[in-house]
Amino acid sequence: MAEKWKGPLERLDDNRWVIPRTYKQGMRTDGIIYAGKDMIEAVLADQAPEQVTNVACLPGIVGRSMAMPDIHWGYGFPIGGVAAFDRAEGVISPGGVGFDINCGVRLVRTELSGDEVQPRLKELVNALFRDVPSGLGSEGRQVFSQRDLTKVLTEGARSLIKRGYGWKEDTTYLEEGGAMAGADPAEVSEKAMKRGREQVGTLGSGNHFLEVEVVEEIFHPDIARSFGLFEGQVVVMIHTGSRGFGHQVCTDSLRLMQSAMKKYGISVPDKQLACAPLSSDEGKAYFAAMACAANFAWANRQLITHRVRESFETVFGSSAEKLGMHILYDVAHNIAKLERHRVTGKELDVCVHRKGATRAFAAGHPALPEAYRAVGQPVLIPGDMGTGSYILVGTQRAMEETFGSTCHGAGRVLSRSQADKQSRGRDIVAELQEKGITVMAKSRSTLREEMTEAYKSVKAVVETVEQSGISLRVASTRPMGVVKG
Amino acid sequence: MKRFEILDHTADIGIVAWGRNLPELFSNAAEGMFSLITDAKVSGEGFETEIAVEGEDRVELLVNWLNELLYVFETEEVLPGDFEIKRIGPVSMKGRVRGGPIDYTHHELKREIKACTYYQAAVEELGPTLWRAQVYFDM
Repeated sequence: MAEKWKGPLERLDDNRWVIPRTYKQGMRTDGIIYAGKDMIEAVLADQAPEQVTNVACLPGIVGRSMAMPDIHWGYGFPIGGVAAFDRAEGVISPGGVGFDINCGVRLVRTELSGDEVQPRLKELVNALFRDVPSGLGSEGRQVFSQRDLTKVLTEGARSLIKRGYGWKEDTTYLEEGGAMAGADPAEVSEKAMKRGREQVGTLGSGNHFLEVEVVEEIFHPDIARSFGLFEGQVVVMIHTGSRGFGHQVCTDSLRLMQSAMKKYGISVPDKQLACAPLSSDEGKAYFAAMACAANFAWANRQLITHRVRESFETVFGSSAEKLGMHILYDVAHNIAKLERHRVTGKELDVCVHRKGATRAFAAGHPALPEAYRAVGQPVLIPGDMGTGSYILVGTQRAMEETFGSTCHGAGRVLSRSQADKQSRGRDIVAELQEKGITVMAKSRSTLREEMTEAYKSVKAVVETVEQSGISLRVASTRPMGVVKG
Repeated sequence: MKRFEILDHTADIGIVAWGRNLPELFSNAAEGMFSLITDAKVSGEGFETEIAVEGEDRVELLVNWLNELLYVFETEEVLPGDFEIKRIGPVSMKGRVRGGPIDYTHHELKREIKACTYYQAAVEELGPTLWRAQVYFDM
């Protein structure tokens, strides 16, 4: 297992820990880790804090190099990492976004109660497993022509809604309206196009999932009402990203960045942090390709949403409209965004990298749909498949401290081989069934690696972001049915 | 000589591979990577392709070689049976991979590898007939 991190850590308060920039040469700013007292030991167990300090070395970083409480050891940036870079003098790094560009979460509401769904649950999970292609391989996939795929890259979710895969209102409730500006398919390789052709509308594998959940607890009734949530309500969570298309875009960009670094005289402590100035041709090319992948992911979650609505229609014999299957929201948790933030009293244009972190804008922000503008942005935090998820809301404190960012999930605590060892001989499907959770998965290995014990407590993660004031809990859900790749 | 070994990592997974020379090292690293995806074995018949990659050093060559194999695996839906490294120079390499189509009813695919990363990636010459490589994958 990994070596324990032994660098200096100063306690700022109960939930914030600072790594001073004097820790190592090259750090341009301090690192800050959001973690509760009970979590910090686990954070120091591997090299994730070192990755926070590596990010602090990147040119043009504004504010601190941050890590959310679900921080864990990644490659390049830590997972849970947030960093902003000056638009004029800073860099953009594919390592600050990751291979699964715009991996994210969408939540679809229903007007059904848990009691209404329970008797049909097996049938519903079966239908979802059948209708939404998951796992590896192309079985049941829809093939997109070059022309249609190009539209997906520039128009994102909207391109699918135009073809009948969704409702007109849907894009209102997606981050960036489901289509990020600045996408240029000319910056995307033939290889990425080839990988993407059969992957729109597919869940993939690993930690990605489709989950039927029931709202268990409401923490802020007024905000929950604005989000259309009520206790006992069934909702559907979709967690997936840009699939092989995004992976290829990242792979291609890393090659480009390695040579760009020489050109611009940039050196970084980890090759995976390869970057280029935002204002350079290489920086712009990566941004344009990354935006294509982000749009691919929004289209991917859109087609899955359509299939989910169809499955519900089949099982409950009613239209998705009558079942009230509106999108609550859709967030990206692996992305770099051009945003304007107030930094030490001045408005500043920055590129915020969120790698395993979620945008969490406060009430009043113009980027929010009108329905949520008075309360703040919904933040969707998936837990592991045995314990459920949270819906949070962004706060003013997040705008002031974390460039409007918060955590993204539970974060792994066991490595895959540890999980494999601890789950040997166990029947994870039967164990979950005993807890009342119906699971269907393509791969048994995935189920064992994704078991509850492999993850940190999502409850502890969201409590930390709430106590530190960067988001508020609105509601929690518990899983009823899970589809995994 | 052990050909490869799994490296533990909290969120992802890595491998260490060994070889008596660079071609063997690259071939063993490829086998190590596919051992993470599946235990299924296919004969090297039915599919064959040549892979040529470039890179600024051996680490880049290795990372690019492995990412290229992931691309072939995903787009051609084949499982590689054997790898033959034809030439490795300082900034380019050429290899051949043979394999067979994936049979989804019989081959269990354990996990998806998103990509091979540069994080702590290394290619080292430990002695005149011993090479070691290390890479982490994004899972």
